[in-house]
Amino acid sequence: MNRGSEPAANGGRGLGSAVDAAFTSLLEESAEDLYENAPCGYLSTLMDGTIAKVNGTLLGWLGRERDEVVGRMSFSDLLTVGGKLYHETHFAPLLHMRGEVNGIALEIRAADGTRMPVLVTSVVKNGDGGEPLLIRTTLTDARDRRSYEAELLRARRAAEEARRQAEADRVRLQSALAVLQQSLLPDTLPDVPGLVTATHYHTASPDRLGGDFYDLFPLGEDRWAFFLGDVSGKGPEAASLTSLARYTLRTAAAYTADPAAVLATLNTALHDRYTSGEPRYCTAVFGVLQPDGDGFDVRVASGGHPPAVITRADGGAEFLDTPGGMLVGILPDAPFVGAHNRLEPGDSLLLYTDGLTEARVGADRGLFGEEALRAFAAEHAGGGPDGIVAALVELLSGFGDGLNDDTALLCLGVPATPDAAAEGKRT
Amino acid sequence: MNSLSVAVEDAPTGPVVQVMGDLDYDSADVFRAAVGGLAVPPGALLVIDLAGLTFCDSSGITAFLAAWNHARASGGDAALAAVPPSTARILHIVGVDRILQVYPDATVAAQAASRGA
Repeated sequence: MNRGSEPAANGGRGLGSAVDAAFTSLLEESAEDLYENAPCGYLSTLMDGTIAKVNGTLLGWLGRERDEVVGRMSFSDLLTVGGKLYHETHFAPLLHMRGEVNGIALEIRAADGTRMPVLVTSVVKNGDGGEPLLIRTTLTDARDRRSYEAELLRARRAAEEARRQAEADRVRLQSALAVLQQSLLPDTLPDVPGLVTATHYHTASPDRLGGDFYDLFPLGEDRWAFFLGDVSGKGPEAASLTSLARYTLRTAAAYTADPAAVLATLNTALHDRYTSGEPRYCTAVFGVLQPDGDGFDVRVASGGHPPAVITRADGGAEFLDTPGGMLVGILPDAPFVGAHNRLEPGDSLLLYTDGLTEARVGADRGLFGEEALRAFAAEHAGGGPDGIVAALVELLSGFGDGLNDDTALLCLGVPATPDAAAEGKRT
Repeated sequence: MNSLSVAVEDAPTGPVVQVMGDLDYDSADVFRAAVGGLAVPPGALLVIDLAGLTFCDSSGITAFLAAWNHARASGGDAALAAVPPSTARILHIVGVDRILQVYPDATVAAQAASRGA
């Protein structure tokens, strides 16, 4: 093998010698020693379970001498109470039926009462005539495995608990958000005699609190106020601004029926509240409806909001222009521009937020735009508020991910016939 | 979608911020971070050059107003230049074209600023 004169081989000689020695000792290892000191417990029993032969490893685990076990104890005597029960009801019957049982987890009980988890495999040895002679059993130490499994189980329980807690938190938060969101929008709108109303609210994401708002409420005996708007930003800060805007508008309307003056009050409130840092503002249309003959007189003012659309009984549609209205809350003395119009039977007034007109549509991802909305509303003018809003809801759902902002719709219409007015009041 | 990029140049009249790509809810923070770190000395004009703007929604409008607030906080002012027609239309609806000066391009904006100064 190695030559001493070759320095390069010198290092190899020592290693070679160690390997040689290991091989020699392996070859010299007796079957008896392998049996006695194997890294698992060996056990041979008669068919009735009486222990006939046991190795040193198992005796060591049990803390017992050979002569107190062999011929005196049966396999089930080595087991815990639960183990005995399982042995009698499952293990032994299965073994007799199949001739072998593999890897069953049991616990053995040592002389001092300590327990030790083991995996048990048993095989029946048959005689030449096929008659069962004895049972050979190996027991593998499962303590490390057991603690590993226990750790896995503990970790899984902890993970499940954390997941359950997170889910509970999510549900709680979601319902809190839903309640808050509801406080920003009216549950139902009041019945206005001779007027049909339809609304829709789309939140771009269920976790984003809305930044759009609308309302319709009585102003004294025979007038009605309505508004629709959109606050800057998204999420909780937008929601708090929405709340401030909504209640300021309702309060201001109690003092004046001039739409531009109501928006001016809101402007002052927002500007005072948010003077520095992040710009906080809203766009809004505020209006007052007064019954007039068989229709309604409508006065609106706009602050930075895209123009409302009026659809006519004859199938046309036009913008209710309010050019020059400023965003609400940016400048201390912002100008707001009013407009005046009339809704005849069959006419509808559509208010919307820019989530609709700023939706990105088509292959070029261009804005949907006000003009496309006007044309769309004209097509559905005959359906009245319910028909127009239903058609827009369908349109919005077709926008898919092109619709990435909240969208609010409020449509107020005078029914074409008095019958339809009665119909409208019930909805 | 065109991702947003922002480049800043220093003109004698103040910083010129070139905005390229889509300015929306997801990208507005990029613009605001860039503008928020700019020094706009008293009397200087922060010009927001929109020649490369491909899309702008209401988050972008808010970002322009934040830039205007930022410039005014230090005694300066802000203006928009080369506003694409679709954005000009939105600026007009919300009235922001009466808050921020709008110029045909950044050079004209700078000239106007130097004349004013």
